[in-house]
Amino acid sequence: MLQYLIIQLDDTSTSYCHYTNIRNEKRLISLDDLRAGILWAMKENLMIQYVLPDYELPAEYIEEMESIDNSKIVSSHSTMINNADVIVLNGWEKGFTFRENGIYVLRITKDSLFAYSEEIKMVLPAVTRLNIVITDVETFTDADCETYKIVLESFAKEVEKLYVAGKSPQLNLLTDRMMLDKMNNCNAGYESITLAPDGCFYVCPAFYLANEDDDFGLGKSKYNVGNLIDGLDIKNPQLYRLDHAPICRHCDAYQCKRCVWLNRKTTYEVNTPSREQCVVAHIERNVAAQLLTSIRTYGEFLPERNGIEVLECLDPFEKANKW
Amino acid sequence: MEEKIKKHNSSWQDGIAKNITFIVTKDCQLACKYCYLVGKNTKERMSWEVAKQAIDYILDNEEDFKEDSVIWDFIGGEPFLEIELIDKICDYIKVELYRRNHHWFNSYRFSFSTNGINYHTDKVQDFIKKNREHLSIGITIDGTQQKHDLNRIWKTPEMEQGIAPQPQEERGSYDDVVRNIPLWLEQFPGAGTKVTISSADIPYICESVLHLYSLGIHEVNINCVFEDVWKEGDDTLFEAQLMQLADAIIDGEYYKEYSCSFFTENMGKPMDCVYENTNWCGAGKMLSIDAAGNFYPCTRFAQYSLRDKKAWIIGNVNDGIDKNKLRPFFTLDRCTQSTQECIDCEVAGGCAWCQGENYDAADTPTIYQRATAICKMHKARVRANNYYWNKLYRKLELEGIAQEKAIEHTKMSDNKNNC
Ligand code: SF4
Ligand code: SF4
Repeated sequence: MLQYLIIQLDDTSTSYCHYTNIRNEKRLISLDDLRAGILWAMKENLMIQYVLPDYELPAEYIEEMESIDNSKIVSSHSTMINNADVIVLNGWEKGFTFRENGIYVLRITKDSLFAYSEEIKMVLPAVTRLNIVITDVETFTDADCETYKIVLESFAKEVEKLYVAGKSPQLNLLTDRMMLDKMNNCNAGYESITLAPDGCFYVCPAFYLANEDDDFGLGKSKYNVGNLIDGLDIKNPQLYRLDHAPICRHCDAYQCKRCVWLNRKTTYEVNTPSREQCVVAHIERNVAAQLLTSIRTYGEFLPERNGIEVLECLDPFEKANKW
Repeated sequence: MEEKIKKHNSSWQDGIAKNITFIVTKDCQLACKYCYLVGKNTKERMSWEVAKQAIDYILDNEEDFKEDSVIWDFIGGEPFLEIELIDKICDYIKVELYRRNHHWFNSYRFSFSTNGINYHTDKVQDFIKKNREHLSIGITIDGTQQKHDLNRIWKTPEMEQGIAPQPQEERGSYDDVVRNIPLWLEQFPGAGTKVTISSADIPYICESVLHLYSLGIHEVNINCVFEDVWKEGDDTLFEAQLMQLADAIIDGEYYKEYSCSFFTENMGKPMDCVYENTNWCGAGKMLSIDAAGNFYPCTRFAQYSLRDKKAWIIGNVNDGIDKNKLRPFFTLDRCTQSTQECIDCEVAGGCAWCQGENYDAADTPTIYQRATAICKMHKARVRANNYYWNKLYRKLELEGIAQEKAIEHTKMSDNKNNC
C-alpha cells in the first residue's frame, strides 16, 4: 500500500540513493504542482518526503512545504542543511563535521568505500544513523566481494565495540538485518511514489532523472506513472510488490534495498535483481549474522529474535530449482 | 484400450536438449500473408564469421551449457536458401565437438523448419544424405490447396519494394511444396507438420487436417496463434470445426495411425499454484543468434518478430551472454505472470502461452504479463477435446464389449462342438 510521497523539488535536488543525478540546470517544481502534490498526499494519507536542491528555496515554497508534516532530504552542501532530517554526502568528504544525532546517507563508490573504510567507521559513534549506499553495486566483481566482506567485518567489530559500551549505533548494512524480521526494501512503486518538477509521478527519482534517450535495452529508461491531473497510473503495479518478485520473495536478506531501478537496468525486469545485487546483500546479511552472534556472547541481546544462520549460497537464484 | 490410439510423438530429447537457433537469413521465396507483414522483407544473411564466433563461444563455455544434448536449429526466412552456409556450420560443429571431446558429441541434432520448395535440390539432398542420422526436418503445408494458396504465395519483385500484389497476381506455392512431400516422407517417415491457425483459417481446419493425413503425414501439430486476432464468434466456429474433425477422425478410425495435437488427453483441468506452477514456454532455456551476432532468449524476441517492443538482447558473439538478462526467464513461474482469472480458471490445464507474445502485448516491457487473447479459443478447444475423448472411449468400449461377446460366442460354439 502506498505510504510515502517523495517530492523531488528541483531537477538539481540531491540523489539520496543508487541513481546519479547529473542535472545542473535548475528546474523548480511549480508552486501549483507543489500545492497539488501536498493536497493529493493529504487525501491519500501519505507521508511527504521532500528532496531539496542546494540553493535557498523561495519563501512561499517553504511556507507551502511546511503546511504539512514532512521530512527533508538535503545534501551536505545545501543551504538548507540546518532544516534537514536526512543529510546526504555525495562521496566521502574529508573533514566533514557530522552532527551528533544526525541521520546521514553516504553515497559512495565501492572503491572509495574500500579506500576510506577506516575513516567511515569512525563516524558510527558520532551519529544516530548512517546509511551507506554503494552507487556502483552492479559492477561488483568476485574480488570486490572479498574486499567488501573484509570491510564489513571491520565495521562489525566497531559496531560490536559500541554495543558493548552500551551504545546503539545504526549502520544500515549491518544493524538493520539484526533488527528486522521481514523485508524492509525500498518498495518504490508500491509503498512510495515520486512527484517530479514536471508534475508527473515516477516510480522513484531515478526514473525521472534518466535522460530522454537513455535506454538500458527494451526502450526508454525514463517513464512516468501518471500525473497530477489524471492521477496515478502504474502499469503492471503488481511487479513492484514483493509477492511478484520470484527471487526476492524467497530471500531473507531483509535489509536489502531490492532496488527496482537497478533491477530494470541489469536484468530488464523491475522485479528481478542482478546477481551482484544479491551477492552484495548476502555478504551484508552474513556479516550481520556473525555480528548478532558475537554481541550475544556478552549477554542477552534482542532476545525476541531468532539467530541468523550464515548462508553458503550468496545468490538465492541458484536455488531456483528447489522452490 | 489406449494402445489402439496413436500416441503423439514427442520431439527428440524433448525438454532435455538445449535448443540453439541460428537465424541464418530473413529472406524467403514466399511472402506468406501472416508472416511477410511483420517485417521479414529484409535480406539480412548470417555470415560465416558470425556463425563461427557463436559456435566457438558456445563450445568454449561448456560449463554454461550443461544439457545432455543439443538441437542446432536453423530458421529463416527460409533456411535452405542458405544451405551452403548451413553445411559449413554443421561440418564445423561436428569437427569441433569431436576435437574438443565435447559432451554433445554424438548427442546432437540439426533441425529445420522449411517451406519445402528447395527440398529436392541437389545441395539440400546432399546435405540430408550426409547428416541423415542427426536430422529432423519439418515442412510447412497449411492444408488443402485452397487454404495453402490463400496465404502461402510466391514473393514478387514488387513485394520486395513493399508493394502488395493484386489478387490476380498472387501465385500460390502448394504445387511446389507438395511435389516434395513423398521424398520427404520417404526420408523421414515419422515426420510431422506444423499448422498455425488464425481467425481466417478456422473454417478450413477439419478439411485441412484430413488433407494432410491423405498426403501421408501422420502427425499434425496444430495450434492457434497467440496474437490478439480473434473475432466475435470465432470460438463457436472453432469448436464446431473441432467437433467435425473429432467425428471424422473417430468415424474414419484415423486415431489408430494418425494424430492431431488439438486432441490431447488430460487437458482442461484446474491447476495448482504450488504443484503446477512451472512456466509453459521454454524461452531463456533456448538461445537464438541472428545475423548481427546478437543473442536472444528465443527467436520471438528478435526485432523482426516483434510488433511493438524492442528486441530483448541478452548478449552477443563478442561479449557473450549477460547472465543477468536471463534471470527473469529462469525464475518466471505460471502464477506470477497470470491474472487471477487464469489462476482460478477451471480449465487452465493445457492453456498455452508464448513468452515472446506476452512481452510484445504487455503494457510495460515485461515477460511477466500473460497475454490472454487465446482464452476463449482454449475454452472452445477444451469442450471439443472433451467431446472427442468421450466419444472415442465410448466407441472403443463398445467395440471391446462387442469383441468380448464375439469371443464368448466363439467359445460357446466351440464348447458345443466339443460336447
Ligand atoms: S528504486 Fe529505490 S533503491 Fe532503487 S534508486 Fe530508486 S529509490 Fe533507490
Ligand atoms: S538479496 Fe537479492 S533476492 Fe534478496 S531481497 Fe535482495 S535483491 Fe532480492
